[in-house]
Amino acid sequence: MSSKKSIREALLDHSTLLVLMGAVTIVGVVVQLVGTPLLKNIYTSFCISLMMVLGLQMFMGNSGILSWTHIGFVGVGAYVSGILSMQPMMKQLGVPNMYPFLVSLHAPIGVAILAGGLVAALLAALISYPLMRLSDAAGVITLFATLIVFHVVMTQWDNVTNGPRTFFGLQEYTTLWVALIAALATMVLAWFFRDSALGLRIRASRDDRYAARAVGIDVVRVRYLTFVLSALVMGLAGGIWAHFITSFSPKAFYIAEMFTLISMLVIGGAGSITGAVTGAVVVTIVREALRQVEAAINNAHVLPFEVFGLTELVLAVFMVAVLIWRPVGVIGAQEARLVRLKATSGGGRPAEADKEV
Amino acid sequence: MSASDVSSMPDSSQASTFEVRNLKKHFAGLKAVDGVSFSVRTGEILGLIGPNGSGKTTLVNVVTGLLPATEGSILLDGEDLTRRPAHDRARKGLARTFQTVRLFGQMTVLENVEAAVVSTGHRRRHAASQAMEVLADLGLADQAHRLAREIPFGHQRKLEIARALAMRPKFVFLDEPAAGLNEQESDELDDLLRRIPGQYSVGLVVIEHDMRLMMNLCPRLHVLNYGKTIAEGTPDEVRSNHEVVTAYLGSRA
Ligand SMILES: Nc1ncnc2c1ncn2[C@@H]1O[C@H](COP(=O)(O)OP(=O)(O)OP(=O)(O)O)[C@@H](O)[C@H]1O
Ligand SMILES: [Mg+2]
Repeated sequence: MSSKKSIREALLDHSTLLVLMGAVTIVGVVVQLVGTPLLKNIYTSFCISLMMVLGLQMFMGNSGILSWTHIGFVGVGAYVSGILSMQPMMKQLGVPNMYPFLVSLHAPIGVAILAGGLVAALLAALISYPLMRLSDAAGVITLFATLIVFHVVMTQWDNVTNGPRTFFGLQEYTTLWVALIAALATMVLAWFFRDSALGLRIRASRDDRYAARAVGIDVVRVRYLTFVLSALVMGLAGGIWAHFITSFSPKAFYIAEMFTLISMLVIGGAGSITGAVTGAVVVTIVREALRQVEAAINNAHVLPFEVFGLTELVLAVFMVAVLIWRPVGVIGAQEARLVRLKATSGGGRPAEADKEV
Repeated sequence: MSASDVSSMPDSSQASTFEVRNLKKHFAGLKAVDGVSFSVRTGEILGLIGPNGSGKTTLVNVVTGLLPATEGSILLDGEDLTRRPAHDRARKGLARTFQTVRLFGQMTVLENVEAAVVSTGHRRRHAASQAMEVLADLGLADQAHRLAREIPFGHQRKLEIARALAMRPKFVFLDEPAAGLNEQESDELDDLLRRIPGQYSVGLVVIEHDMRLMMNLCPRLHVLNYGKTIAEGTPDEVRSNHEVVTAYLGSRA
């Protein structure tokens, strides 16, 4: 067999990625051409969510560790990029207590967004090594606790974030095209990461920690590297989001938002890019539809009380239902394949899933 | 790369020695492994036998680093690996399979082997062809793109061996590779195990309850009971050893 692949083979190997990218792009072009401003907004924020879900997928889907921390890195990216991209005058106005050296810092938006990603990655690199030793419940709990720490810092560090108050005055830089390109780039990154040397090792450690160690995988190290890489993506997404929404406060980077991202990933299937994209599409549509329903109910005054939280409620029920009936998500852990590779059928006794080493 | 045949796979053809000295593993009061010593060289097959609960699996877990040793030392070509983490020992050349199959179930057969190739310091670029060579050699090539957890059990056992061999190890510890196999699969395994040491320049340490298979396969046997060595030698010597006979009759008759 030849080790050099033909172009045809390469296209087949990556056909799923190409189709996903094509579909997302076509929808974007249509929305841009004929969509209402509301639809353009929904689509743009979908692309940003997609970027975040894929960033989360890189760690969570491949390592099997549920991370509540990730939205914190989005926050870091948002604040860092905002502080860098805003004019000093605006900063003095918006964040009266800001450290003078931060007020005077200024960079072009592109550089600011990049810096936001890098600072998020650096922070992840500094804090996450000990966390990566933990698996299962202990891992989930510590990553959740870490999110709380992020939140407390964001709400208390007046001189940087304006505390719990709104941080405002960013330029609107993120157009539909910027968001789309960022989403497409992240799709490519997540797709090739999955199949990289690190991607193979982190997935192996997800499927069986003991066997992974026995074949030479330093489980803590591969988790750590993946965590830092995915924090980078989350930080970049934070900067892109910040320059779309232009004003935000720490509650944008907390449990409710993280829950939405996790539900996207869990519903679609954390193990694959196809699953992550599917989940983002489904949740975005459900969320927007429910928002309309909620608004309609409230406007009609048919109920003696305000309806709110319908979105979270339905998403939660949806997620529970998926976890019960199809724990691997709608798509599952495998990439959807348009072209079936030699699939020789034939059942057999499944391996006993014995926990004993 | 594609031209190189499997027999030329090992990087260094010079023989290695693996040795454990006075190895102990205690679980609280239970002495699961209690002062075991043996050595094995590349190209050899050593059989490790003993009644249920005699400490065979624990010994492999300690040797490969999944459990810390209580006492004693583990040496590969004289280098002390006793305190090294498991992944380090794997990269140094100690590979294993598990008594209850442990594959990367959500990954394809090919990816299972590729993961082992890249984990032992080989380049991603060459991983697919290296993995396919081993898979082809073990008759799993046509299963390459199926999920590991979906292939028949007999193939899963073989895949575990393929994964270990793809690490280009110096020694492979096989923990009951025939368990759960039917007679035909078991015979195939016998043939496979016979050719592995020469073809891949590895030493094999085989744990197995199937005595017919073991007596034929292993020129040398090491017998454990309650964590202690009760006999070692050729199959004939072991078979006629009084303590071995009592141990087996006492606990398994
Ligand atoms: N993690 C552990 N904690 C406590 N005791 C253990 C542990 N692992 C094994 N043991 C005990 O150590 C002893 C040796 O077990 P081990 O599994 O090594 O035996 P074995 O020779 O592999 O047996 P079998 O032939 O049944 O596989 C047993 O008494 C077992 O209960
Ligand atoms: Mg055992």
